[in-house]
Amino acid sequence: MKKRVLVILLVLTGLAGVALWLRQNYWTDHMLRMSHQKNLAKVTCFNCHLVSTDRLRWAQPRPHHDAPAGLAVSPDGKKIYIALDDRDEVAEADTASRQVLRRAKVAGRPFGLALDAAGKNLFVTCRDGDRLAVLDTQTLSETGSVPVGMAPVAVAFCRTAAGDRLVVANSMSDDISVLSVSPLQELGRPSAGRDPFAVAITPDGTRAFIANRLVSLATGHTIPASEITEIDPMTARTARRETLDSAHQSEGICAVPSRPWMLAPLVKVRNLVPITQVANGWVMSSGLAVTDIKTGNVIQMPLDEANNYFADPSGIVVDPAGRRAFVASGGGDVVTVVDLERLAGWLEKADPAAKREAVYDMSLAPEYVTARIPTERNPKQLALSPDGGTLFVAERLADSILVVDAKSVAAQGRIVLGDGGLNDPIRRGEKVFTKAGFTFQNQFSCRSCHPDGHVDGLSYDFDTSGIGDNLLDNRSLMGVAGTEPFKWNGKNPTLEVQCGPRFARVLMRTDPIPQKELLDLTTYIKSLPPHRVATRSADGTLTPSQERGKAIFFATKTPGGQEIPHERRCSTCHRPPLYSVRLSFDVGTGGMFDTPHLLGVAASAPYLHDGRAQSLEELWTIYNPNDQHGVSSYMNKIQLNDLVDYLKTL
Amino acid sequence: MKTTLNSLTLAAGMVLLFSLAGATGVRAAETATNDLPLPFPLIDRFENFQIKDGLPTHKAHCVLRASDGKLWVGTYNGALVREDGKFRRIGVEDGLSHKMVLCMVEDKRTGDMWIGTMRGLNRYSAGHITTYLQTTSGLPNNVIYGLDIMDDTLWVATAAGLGSLNLKTGEWAIYDQSNTVMHEPWVYAVKGAKDRIFVGVWGGGILEYELSNKIFKEHRDPDRDFHYELVHDAGPVSDITSWIAWEDDILWQGTYFGMSRYDGSRWRTWQEKKSPLISNFVNFIWPHGRVAWVGTDRGISVTDGNTWATYRTNEKGEGIVEIARPGRPVETRTMSTKLPNDFVLGIWVDDQEAWFATSDGLSHAIFAAPPKPTKVADAK
Repeated sequence: MKKRVLVILLVLTGLAGVALWLRQNYWTDHMLRMSHQKNLAKVTCFNCHLVSTDRLRWAQPRPHHDAPAGLAVSPDGKKIYIALDDRDEVAEADTASRQVLRRAKVAGRPFGLALDAAGKNLFVTCRDGDRLAVLDTQTLSETGSVPVGMAPVAVAFCRTAAGDRLVVANSMSDDISVLSVSPLQELGRPSAGRDPFAVAITPDGTRAFIANRLVSLATGHTIPASEITEIDPMTARTARRETLDSAHQSEGICAVPSRPWMLAPLVKVRNLVPITQVANGWVMSSGLAVTDIKTGNVIQMPLDEANNYFADPSGIVVDPAGRRAFVASGGGDVVTVVDLERLAGWLEKADPAAKREAVYDMSLAPEYVTARIPTERNPKQLALSPDGGTLFVAERLADSILVVDAKSVAAQGRIVLGDGGLNDPIRRGEKVFTKAGFTFQNQFSCRSCHPDGHVDGLSYDFDTSGIGDNLLDNRSLMGVAGTEPFKWNGKNPTLEVQCGPRFARVLMRTDPIPQKELLDLTTYIKSLPPHRVATRSADGTLTPSQERGKAIFFATKTPGGQEIPHERRCSTCHRPPLYSVRLSFDVGTGGMFDTPHLLGVAASAPYLHDGRAQSLEELWTIYNPNDQHGVSSYMNKIQLNDLVDYLKTL
Repeated sequence: MKTTLNSLTLAAGMVLLFSLAGATGVRAAETATNDLPLPFPLIDRFENFQIKDGLPTHKAHCVLRASDGKLWVGTYNGALVREDGKFRRIGVEDGLSHKMVLCMVEDKRTGDMWIGTMRGLNRYSAGHITTYLQTTSGLPNNVIYGLDIMDDTLWVATAAGLGSLNLKTGEWAIYDQSNTVMHEPWVYAVKGAKDRIFVGVWGGGILEYELSNKIFKEHRDPDRDFHYELVHDAGPVSDITSWIAWEDDILWQGTYFGMSRYDGSRWRTWQEKKSPLISNFVNFIWPHGRVAWVGTDRGISVTDGNTWATYRTNEKGEGIVEIARPGRPVETRTMSTKLPNDFVLGIWVDDQEAWFATSDGLSHAIFAAPPKPTKVADAK
């Protein structure tokens, strides 16, 4: 027995010796050679090996909820239709009894709704199906479908001299589908701004206004501006493009019946100012863009109060008389009521300078904001009954529709769709993610910079030393599970640290998010899958160009036969399956920066740590003069385009 | 002797008779020529626009009337839009990637104008400009010589190959010497033609690309000689393609050594001195129906391939039009107005009017009223 133990001990000692020898003579050298790090303290075998996306949170099944998205009220006011995108369903509810009458399956994540003039056909945008479906409201069954652009989120119906039209906002392909109703077909697809998200038609049906969520791409130090796109729904031609300077995230738009106005909620953003001040708008504030539909002139008006903010404005409706507008605050859990007559009165008296500066005056809103209607979590889309008497509020993360007497602004009850997902940590985390109450004076939520968990396309100045001195590109949270460490300097080892106390002190300026909510929050973030991209085929097959690009991505030699140094191969740092080895490298941009993953990279422009590259092409055509960010100098334009085509499939 | 005298008298009489008859015949022919219908309208007068009229520079490169009726002009110093009788300039300060505008094409479905410059491609959409550069997008090269739109594809002729941009997906493709039969990289023109596109390559003739089969076919000068046309009507007149245009199933090629016409099976070629073509130096061709308007360094020709009218300045500095009909002498008419400059770089023509971009301004041509048809009563 002793002999046996002795043998085992000898074997173990030998194995330990071999391991030690390997470490001394092979592994250390291997790790130094393959990781290209001077210090191996943060390097493990798992940076390169045994990495799988299968076990990541976003690859696991998750519970689905009855979250209301788009709303549409029947012409007689008796029915309300509710898009339940997470369920692939559309629900019909009785507005009097506030009961759900029936549900219909609609594949492809139904999101935006619109009814025709008679209320016989319900048009549904399918956000993941890239199509518009038609439901017969009698049978609540699908009677037609037509492909549109990528990720359609909103639709509006209108009558024109040339027939009935539908205008669809395609959020991911940055364009607008204009469809004829009979026959149901796409007539044209004019381009929008970036991330078109809402559509409204002028009362005479001659113009469609499209609100875009993200700012158009520009260099880091340029004042960001988003767009309101104006098209002719009859011809599908672009009529006008209005810019919202220093503003973005418009998720709703609505015409005012009695005035030549188009109203769109907005987020006034101050990303180029160091995040050191905490008052008077701080990082961002909420506002309302008042567009003159005749001239196209836009005046931005504030919706917040000096010491209380109503973050993440989203849906908007105006009553039939054009006297009041209702604006949902997704982060503040209120619906703001704007008296449009008082607003018009202020505008009539104000001189041009006052109008220009109005949105910065945080004491102005009480002049025209007459009420704040409290809601359950995350009010998004709104709808009014045709007579304007009843307001419906989609409480997205409460799985309910709040029914409000529009005149008295008193809540009448709720249409209950689901249980709110209290037992689902992902759902609870989403509630934390969208809640502005965790920031000083409720100024913003995580979602304010990460709409749908993605990016807002901005670079923010995180430095106190001077304006615009330390711009940092906002990185997507989609697909980040397993890509730790976080931050561009790679200092935060986990999401819990990233979103923890230091983040609260630097950004939120309040107490840290409590531990339980913090864990829910990180669970939610980890559940976010990589952003969907247009050029990734469903079955994974690549086009010839993408195949060539893939060969370039994994190339170890140039086409001329020259060896590409290991540290300058794309796949060394951006190693599959995450396309990141999660280490920091100097790619010639001014320091060591964390290697971002490339899953869904096509949708996350701008690029590099300070957002200096507006497109993937610029990474190599402008910002890689010394081949430090991969050897690219040998590439001709076709090869570069091939590489970019491949990256857009990841 | 008498016979001889009689013969001489008869001969002299015959000569006199033939001379008189000949003189009368020329006059008769002229009269007949003036009355003969032409396959294209004649220009009655030119209205010219130069720096003094609001142009920002002498040189206009291209001109087109958009589907909303507005006139667009590409100049050495920005693009111009003519609205309410005035030119509005769109320049670098408005976001244009370069001041020198070389070509333009309208996406008639959306009303967007695509503007090719010496440095980059621009989309002008309802007043907003989006720029595409070779460094920021899949654009093959920043020098844009020609543009065309077919369905959802924008075709871009550049100094380093042909590019295509899918307007729905944003995907770029490049066609050059490395992946096509293209012999030179300098693509000067591209034109959609139903199920195919034609590509004019400077030094490389013409490429024909079948969209469904993705096959490139090459049309080269059969004699491969730049200057001389040793083989007539058998292919492009020269490989130095400066422009191509297509309409009504007819392809027109402009080169600096003559011009060609291709109907899908047969070629015809024209060079100066061998035909009424005023100059071998062809900058631009605008087909309208089966008629081609040809911009050269010495004026404008319009032709259906047989009958020609050429507008130019004569040695006295007068504007003239020379009408050449098959088998008839050239008829020259003096005009009350003339082109601002005979170096013509761009043309736009429809049934009502014509516009010419020249190296010293823009010219608006007003057509003469067509000759009244002979009355039936008169014929009787």
